[in-house]
Amino acid sequence: MTESSNNGVGPNVPLDRRDPATGQAPGPVDPALEAIDPDRGRPANVIATRGLSLRFGDKTILSGIDMLFPRGTITALIGPTGSGKSTFLRTLNRMNDKVSGFRYGGDVLLDDESIWASHQDLLALRRRVGMLFQRPNPFPMSIRDNVVAGVKAHRIAKGKQLDVVAEERLRQVGLWDAAKDRLGDSPFRLSGGQQQLLCLARALAVGPEVLLLDEPTSSLDPISTENVEAMLKSLAPALTLIVVTHNLGQARRVSHHTMFFYDGALVEHGPTEVLFEHPREDQTERYVTGRMG
Amino acid sequence: MAAVIPAGALIASVVVLATKAGPAVRVNGAHFLTGSDWKLGNTYGAIQHTDGVAHPLGSSYGAWPLIAGTLQSSAIALIIAVPISLGAAFALTERLPRWLSSILRFGIELLAGVPSVLIGLWGALTLGPLLARDVYPIVADHMPNVPVLSYFKNPVGHGEGLLTSGIVLALMIVPIIASTARNLFAQVPALPKEGGEALGLTDWEVTRKITLPWVRSGLIGATVLGLGRALGETIAIAMVSGALLNTITPNVYGTMGTVAAAIVSQLDSAFTDGTGFAIASLAELALVLSIVSLLVNMLARFIVHRTDSLSAPVGVGF
Ligand SMILES: Nc1ncnc2c1ncn2[C@@H]1O[C@H](COP(=O)(O)OP(=O)(O)OP(=O)(O)O)[C@@H](O)[C@H]1O
Ligand SMILES: [Mg+2]
Repeated sequence: MTESSNNGVGPNVPLDRRDPATGQAPGPVDPALEAIDPDRGRPANVIATRGLSLRFGDKTILSGIDMLFPRGTITALIGPTGSGKSTFLRTLNRMNDKVSGFRYGGDVLLDDESIWASHQDLLALRRRVGMLFQRPNPFPMSIRDNVVAGVKAHRIAKGKQLDVVAEERLRQVGLWDAAKDRLGDSPFRLSGGQQQLLCLARALAVGPEVLLLDEPTSSLDPISTENVEAMLKSLAPALTLIVVTHNLGQARRVSHHTMFFYDGALVEHGPTEVLFEHPREDQTERYVTGRMG
Repeated sequence: MAAVIPAGALIASVVVLATKAGPAVRVNGAHFLTGSDWKLGNTYGAIQHTDGVAHPLGSSYGAWPLIAGTLQSSAIALIIAVPISLGAAFALTERLPRWLSSILRFGIELLAGVPSVLIGLWGALTLGPLLARDVYPIVADHMPNVPVLSYFKNPVGHGEGLLTSGIVLALMIVPIIASTARNLFAQVPALPKEGGEALGLTDWEVTRKITLPWVRSGLIGATVLGLGRALGETIAIAMVSGALLNTITPNVYGTMGTVAAAIVSQLDSAFTDGTGFAIASLAELALVLSIVSLLVNMLARFIVHRTDSLSAPVGVGF
């Protein structure tokens, strides 16, 4: 496999197809077939939850969630505050594991393997399942170093290559023109929207397969929000996106599937169109029409 | 307003010192900083005049060994104390269960409050001899005879000396640096650290690349606070260093002296000099100590200024 075919130079092909655990290409690869469909032979659902229950201490947050996340799609998670969206999302890359009192039942499968299987390397898992947070969280290092922080940690590239990676990813998120003359500067002088794009560039730089986003635009102004939304749409189908949002318009605009959480349960899920236009459940209807809290 | 009082006190004391030290500064000249002899001369004999300043015949003041000893012992103290303090602060904030953490914090605060005369006495009577008997010989035997490391070779002495001084100083500044660092670590917001974890960084990488840089300037401040204490620590060092005046130790275990320890150990005999020149020279010694402390502070400020441009702006809340 050549570098160009697996490192995703084009903006929509940000995946590194090498097995993150071994650094090996997954078997013999035909570049032509690879270009047509890099996902050949992989499970259709990149993530699946099986009877997933989540608890903090004695308090059950969610129970019995069975859900499939088809590769290359965008799924929106909606529901009132406290309904467990973040808890669910943070479980998928095991960010909850170290939270005291966290317990899970059931399982989460990534490419048909449990994320908690003993052979799963936590760091490699997080490289495959990246995350963007509610508020931008740049690291206290230069803009360039922010972009390549994960790349360096996972030893994906080094030396001069890092500059190439930084430029490529900043271009991908549309931040290059704004940042190219201040790569060595503090990221904290960027605007909030630019900081969030920087964090997106940082997450994309390690070549994740899945990106988890927890209200990624809730701290941004409408223009920046539009920017980020456009960005997210362009990331699928190369990436699988799971987005928590309180912005129902956003859910409708960007997602293919929508999950509605309410009161500790996954009330309803389905194609976004259907869920918004013809909800099966009463609660869903009330929520999506704005008649609930 | 509150900042004016200590600044004023500092300026006032430097002015008083400088006035007292004036005659010594004039007569001793550069020899004071470069010479290696500290002699009162014959305080009962003839009196000599240099530049109109009276001083005993044969008096000569060169404080270089004391200045060097101060810098050496403080450097050793920092080398030992900074990693221990940061490790302790990290464990307290990130690793240990809350109940254990608060017990240990209490212990650290207690240690900070132990009078230095007690630590000095313990260092001289117990720790020093113990190190010289059970620890230093092992270290000395295993050091290869190469530059720098040969500084750790025999003879190890009896427990009084540079390394023991450095260790005792470290013991005294660990509580200062550790408690400040703990407070700083506790202020680092969770979000950037989680960002690092979510990116697949190891805990160590998160600490090194995110937590530490986030509070870099505060940590430098904490270190300088500890260094200031080490540079000026007097009584404990007078007890464990050997309190020599004229010797730079050839290896890390040897007896030596520091500026502060010399001031306290020489005060009595300085009063026997009827010309007052010995006292003036001690005042000059104190002046040197103030200037060294000041330079260290300015250096720290410079470093903070240089490195601050990339850390988080003050008041960014996550
Ligand atoms: N670390 C924790 N320990 C105990 N309970 C928690 C913890 N984190 C979250 N919870 C509880 O879990 C429930 C779900 O929280 P979660 O953050 O997942 O909700 P959410 O749907 O993301 O809400 P929001 O829309 O406000 O972000 C809440 O009742 C919350 O109090
Ligand atoms: Mg949430």
